[in-house]
Amino acid sequence: MFGLFDKKYHNPELLEMIGHTQERWFAFLDKLENRMHEMCTAAVPEIKEVFNQDTDPYKRAHGHMLMGLHGQINQMRQKANKTKEESIFYFIDRATTQLPDFISSAGREYHDKLRIFRLDCINRHNIFEEKIAWYTLMLNNAVEEQDLETFYQEQLAAFEDIRNKFICKQCGGNIAIAKIFFIATYITCPFCQTQNTFTPSTGAQMVLHQARSLAEQRTAHLLKAYEASKPKNSQLYQQYLRSMFDEWNKIVPDMATENEKFYQRMLHDHTNSINHY
Amino acid sequence: MGEDKEKRTLTYLERLKQKAISQENYGGEVKAEEAKMEVRDCPECGAGRAFRQGLTACAYCGFKFMNTRLTDGVHIKKENNS
Amino acid sequence: MSENSLLEPIHGITLEDYSAACAKIGSGLSEADVAKALGVEVPVWQEANLLWPERMKQDSTFHIVTLFGQYFGAADKHPKFSNLKPAASTEGSGNVEKIKADKDFYQELEVARQVAYEYGLDGAQWILDKYGIPLGDFQIAASLWSDQIHQDIQANYQGYNQRQDAYRAKYQQLFADAQGGNVADDIDF
Repeated sequence: MFGLFDKKYHNPELLEMIGHTQERWFAFLDKLENRMHEMCTAAVPEIKEVFNQDTDPYKRAHGHMLMGLHGQINQMRQKANKTKEESIFYFIDRATTQLPDFISSAGREYHDKLRIFRLDCINRHNIFEEKIAWYTLMLNNAVEEQDLETFYQEQLAAFEDIRNKFICKQCGGNIAIAKIFFIATYITCPFCQTQNTFTPSTGAQMVLHQARSLAEQRTAHLLKAYEASKPKNSQLYQQYLRSMFDEWNKIVPDMATENEKFYQRMLHDHTNSINHY
Repeated sequence: MGEDKEKRTLTYLERLKQKAISQENYGGEVKAEEAKMEVRDCPECGAGRAFRQGLTACAYCGFKFMNTRLTDGVHIKKENNS
Repeated sequence: MSENSLLEPIHGITLEDYSAACAKIGSGLSEADVAKALGVEVPVWQEANLLWPERMKQDSTFHIVTLFGQYFGAADKHPKFSNLKPAASTEGSGNVEKIKADKDFYQELEVARQVAYEYGLDGAQWILDKYGIPLGDFQIAASLWSDQIHQDIQANYQGYNQRQDAYRAKYQQLFADAQGGNVADDIDF
């Protein structure tokens, strides 16, 4: 009676199916990866060209193109996921139900084979996911960061050019603008005391919105130093944060009071998050 | 076959690029405008806006330029209430 | 107390005013239009527009952001803006009403907008071109429906996901067809 359990189980058909399915799965992912490679390598010079030609200050043509490419990568990921569920896992589940019991020695061999097959397929899929991450980064890094420093310096120079050229709309007297403004404001004529409304150029107004990013660009090396520290050195983060806000305040001094309040909040959030460890 | 596949990718890229460049962005193009200086004359009495009586009302006839209570902001302060 | 001081009006512009103004700018009103509606001039509006977000950044309780979202959703009822509408086609204005009255219509278009971006389109512009709905009204609808959708998800997570997946599939197909297919359409298992 016990002899029944030791009876050798043979299913060469299943073995062949396993081998065949694995081959197909690997080949399928190879094909997707090749296509991804082809698309992304061809896309990089195109992304650069669109970025450089994009006159929009927000670089929206570049942004939309990049999102489209990520969409295609994601479409390939969906395809792989769907196949993994429908053709790999489903196949394994169905085959499993047809095998002799796992606790019998006859069954164990085949259960093991399926388990290894499953692992091999998953491992191959993990490599596919790593490639996705790699190509995603490649697309994102196709262009250098927008050069905010040059833009900012251009705006300062443009302001120097115009600051003494305005005249009072009421009396015609010359109004020298004391400092660069980034939002519209009232300026009093020194001769007739009339309140003129001064609207800065679009470029100057843009500086206000780019100020934080520019300050971050200027202090990126400090953030990098913090991120590279092991274990994370809170002191380095605080140095970065202080320097970043100092730069921010230098760019838009009018916002310094408000920025300081925000600085306090960020510092507070940081110290709180550390205390959780 | 290989050529077909490559053509597929290149056609896609070309279309994507054209779409990115030619489509209208929400909110339209950012128009670069020069800095400007203006003055708002009182619509009631025609006088220019004088400094001494604040920003919210006309110093001469009392016309309300703005129907609000100014607080301490960035450049505009409480003292600028008429 | 500090919470109260963060809610004080800026140049007489309350958080309610500010939130509604933002919604209206999103729907196509200019800075000059909203300043006028609020009874102020552009420099005063610009200061409020700068300082209200600062208050939100300083508020670690997220109270102000939450209120902003609520007031944003109620922008159509704000008395200072009730008579102000940007020029829109008649078809558009029908959809503007519909998206605030028909939850499924909103949910479908929200998915369509996201998928449009995945196909390299400006999703907000696509919704405007196709349905005449400006982004501001779209965001108002998002704010109006958010509680109910949250409840739907809790009540029937699977059903919610199925509907979303069906919308996704529909618009992926639509946008893929419009660009001559996906790059990997010819690759099969």
